[in-house]
Amino acid sequence: MKRTRAGWYEAARKAAALVPYLAAVAAVFIALAPVYWLLTISLKREVDQFAYPPQWIGFTATLEHYRDAFAGGSFAAYFENSVLLAAISTLAALAIGVPAAYGLARFEWPRQWDHRIGDWILSTRMLPPIVTIVPLFLMLRQARLLNSLTGLAIVYTGFNLPFVVWMMRGFFEEVPKEIEEAAMLDGESRAGALLRIVLPLVRPGLAATAVFCLVVAWNEFLFALILTQTEAAMTLPVGIASRVTQYEIKWGAMSAAGVVAMIPVLVFAAAAQKYLVRGLSLGAVKG
Amino acid sequence: MRNAAPALFLAAFLLSCSRTPQRSLTIAVNAGVEGTALKAAAKEWGEANHARIEVVELPYANLFEKEQLDLTSRTGAYDVIMLDDPWFPRMAADLARLPRDPDSDFVSTCLEVCRNPYKTGAYLALPYVGNAQLFFYRKDLFEKYRLAAPKTWDDVLVAAKKIGEGEKMYGYVMRAAPGNAVVADFMPLLWAFGGGVMEGNRAVCNSPPAVEALRFMLELGKYSPPGYAGFNADEVSAHLLQGTAAMSINWPAWIAAMDDPAKSKVVGKIEFSQMPGERDPGVGELGAWLVAVPAGSKHAADAFDFIYWATEPAQMKQAALKGNPPTRRSIFQSPDLMAKFRSYPAQLASLESARPRPRTAEWNEIENSFGIYLSKANDGAMDPRAALNAAADSIQKILERNESATHP
Amino acid sequence: MNRRRIPEGFPWVLPSLVVLLALSIYPLIYSVKLAAADRRNFTRLFTDRLFLTASIQTIWLTLSALSIEFLLGLALALLIDSLARGRMFFRTALLIPMLLPPVVAAVAWRLIYNPQFGVLNGTLRRLGFHTADLTWTSGESSALASVILVDVWEWTPFLFLLLSAGLQAIPPEPLEAARVDGAGAWRIFRDVTLPLLKPTIVLALLLRTMDLVRIFDQIFILTQGGPGTATETVSLYIYRTAFRFSNFGYAAAMSFVLLAATLLFSRGLLRAMRAR
Repeated sequence: MKRTRAGWYEAARKAAALVPYLAAVAAVFIALAPVYWLLTISLKREVDQFAYPPQWIGFTATLEHYRDAFAGGSFAAYFENSVLLAAISTLAALAIGVPAAYGLARFEWPRQWDHRIGDWILSTRMLPPIVTIVPLFLMLRQARLLNSLTGLAIVYTGFNLPFVVWMMRGFFEEVPKEIEEAAMLDGESRAGALLRIVLPLVRPGLAATAVFCLVVAWNEFLFALILTQTEAAMTLPVGIASRVTQYEIKWGAMSAAGVVAMIPVLVFAAAAQKYLVRGLSLGAVKG
Repeated sequence: MRNAAPALFLAAFLLSCSRTPQRSLTIAVNAGVEGTALKAAAKEWGEANHARIEVVELPYANLFEKEQLDLTSRTGAYDVIMLDDPWFPRMAADLARLPRDPDSDFVSTCLEVCRNPYKTGAYLALPYVGNAQLFFYRKDLFEKYRLAAPKTWDDVLVAAKKIGEGEKMYGYVMRAAPGNAVVADFMPLLWAFGGGVMEGNRAVCNSPPAVEALRFMLELGKYSPPGYAGFNADEVSAHLLQGTAAMSINWPAWIAAMDDPAKSKVVGKIEFSQMPGERDPGVGELGAWLVAVPAGSKHAADAFDFIYWATEPAQMKQAALKGNPPTRRSIFQSPDLMAKFRSYPAQLASLESARPRPRTAEWNEIENSFGIYLSKANDGAMDPRAALNAAADSIQKILERNESATHP
Repeated sequence: MNRRRIPEGFPWVLPSLVVLLALSIYPLIYSVKLAAADRRNFTRLFTDRLFLTASIQTIWLTLSALSIEFLLGLALALLIDSLARGRMFFRTALLIPMLLPPVVAAVAWRLIYNPQFGVLNGTLRRLGFHTADLTWTSGESSALASVILVDVWEWTPFLFLLLSAGLQAIPPEPLEAARVDGAGAWRIFRDVTLPLLKPTIVLALLLRTMDLVRIFDQIFILTQGGPGTATETVSLYIYRTAFRFSNFGYAAAMSFVLLAATLLFSRGLLRAMRAR
């Protein structure tokens, strides 16, 4: 009898231990089901997309929507634009923002100016885009940079910059001053010390920041919607939105484009897993 | 190896110099059935003229926004634009004047909306899609219940009741989703009862005839599927195609589907006729799509060349064969097309008597407001008189704020 | 001697300041010019019923989405934190909704929500539910709730992430002490974990509020503010006023109201972040 009761307790305890895992799996399922569904729509023939009951698996797959969107349609151009834009604006934001973060973190500043400047820079990130969009449209038009990747890249750099400064400052503050001081005693310049000694030390932070900037630029919608007018500059999100029509929704092309738009983000997330979680949470929580 | 760089730069420079400036045209079209024909025409023209064509396809609302922005800020992004005729009054100030007046083969109601001021001014666009509302009804069921073709809205109501009860289906179906949908379905009723939206600078949509018209709409709603207050074109046509509703107002774009065995359960059973009247003769709402050249375009000569070409009889006939409602009388009356499309006579008659929406630059805002209240009334959320009073109030405010123009 | 010397770090910071001045401050000033061109723009703010509706809907959406996201995020954080293994996997998987382009998420949900052909109604119908009245984003009364649901799906991971990090940062000593004292799980949570988590909670709530107040992308794709104005938030109304009714001045005036609200939150946010 002792054995059975102990046996029951063991079984119950093992089952109870499973419950959190089941809950976690359920949460993951809820998180990923819509994404999976989008994927299936992009691979189904049109007649199957509307089928009832809904087919989650076991449907005939077709690549026609991808072909239509990318080979036949303009999505290849949108994709290219998105890639270029994300890359250029991230590089520019890093190039300008990393020195600024370093400057705020390392040097002596009178009367808390470093905090004031830091706060000011961060507050620009909090501007709702809708507030600046009309003036920016008019400004870009004046400069003949409307509907151009250059113009859009400048705007994107502008709003990735505060984040770069904020994030990198935190990481720089973690590196002990002595390290550069030792290098400068050896004859290294301040900039050289930054480049050759400090940056390698904050590589995880730099990676997380870069990934975050890329993702933000890749996902951005409102500015691209207003500031682009033709294939020359339209990005993937804008292209996807333009398939949502009033009377019929071109589900195939839209979902194919949506899936492609998701892939770089997911790849980054997978590759930068460790850095991403640490970077995002550290950056956000550290302040 | 170090000399490779300058050589490469030189090569690139030379290459870019030797490239002759290519002819190009950027066209903005509606991402729907209306834009398909123009897209195809554009590609053809581009090939024939060795020009690079870029087609920007956008959904209705966003097409308006993008074109508006391009026109008012003269950015020259688009060389040819497609516009729905209610947009014309607002866009007219930024469109380039046509170098030659269009010929008289075009249906006059279509030409009138291409002129600023309405009917009398200079031509700023050419009509491409000849859309006017038609009345769709199940001829077979009308015959079964010995009903004559509906000539007035009272006839429609009687038929809706009879057929609905007899066949256990919905006698009538309509679009009453807030916005463009409900307004489009309400205008024929409004006009048939003798009402209007505006007179000069005054909102008159709450006049006694208008209230009557709205009450009538609610009556018809009793024979419509539940939830119709949220219906748009998709749902209305689905009900017709599936055979669950017997009558509706609709646009010619849906005619092809009605007779398509792949989509329709009622092939050959739907008749397309003129809009029923009541106190005033029945008129369908005009919904023509026009093509125009923005004043800021950098390729105006080519752009005009294209739109004249696309609206030539031969090209329009091609487009018509693919399902685009034409805007030329000769095409509607050409024997081979009439043989192919049994609805052509009705379409031409409707187009010739169609009435455009009020010609005001603020139509967008007005339709928006009007649509909200009309839909609320159909939803049962507001009493018809109260809804129209609120709409009139709102429209009046919009008009006063903007001091706008003439109306038909 | 030690007078107005430019701080040594200033040249490092200068390029950033210039860029931000050009791209953020100058447009703001320009906006003021646009709005002030017509004095009626400011008085209209008080009489415009549509602006009032949009503001109320924005507040309602913000509060609902925020509370649900917070509770779910906290629950998930506690849950994943308690797992012995696979934490990294679960964390990464759960992050995905918030990494997607909001446009893509909205498109996926629009497909799901379609009353006739979407998988949501399809699945419910299969399970025997009556779906004719379930119009989700196409129905006036259900549209806002449907939009909130999408936001919850998309951004709960964000709160989960922040709260998770906050939980990790809690030193184990106070928890151990409480356990040794014999306190139950709920007491420990309420009296030890929660207070230590407070700074993170404040941070998370403020960050999310600021984003919710200016929500645009998802609603644009899901409903464009419709049906009618059922899901029109302040951002969408401003967008419509500027780009559909071509009234840049009034749009600018309204955007300042939005800006004022955001500034209020951002000040609180900056203070909360500095307090760490």
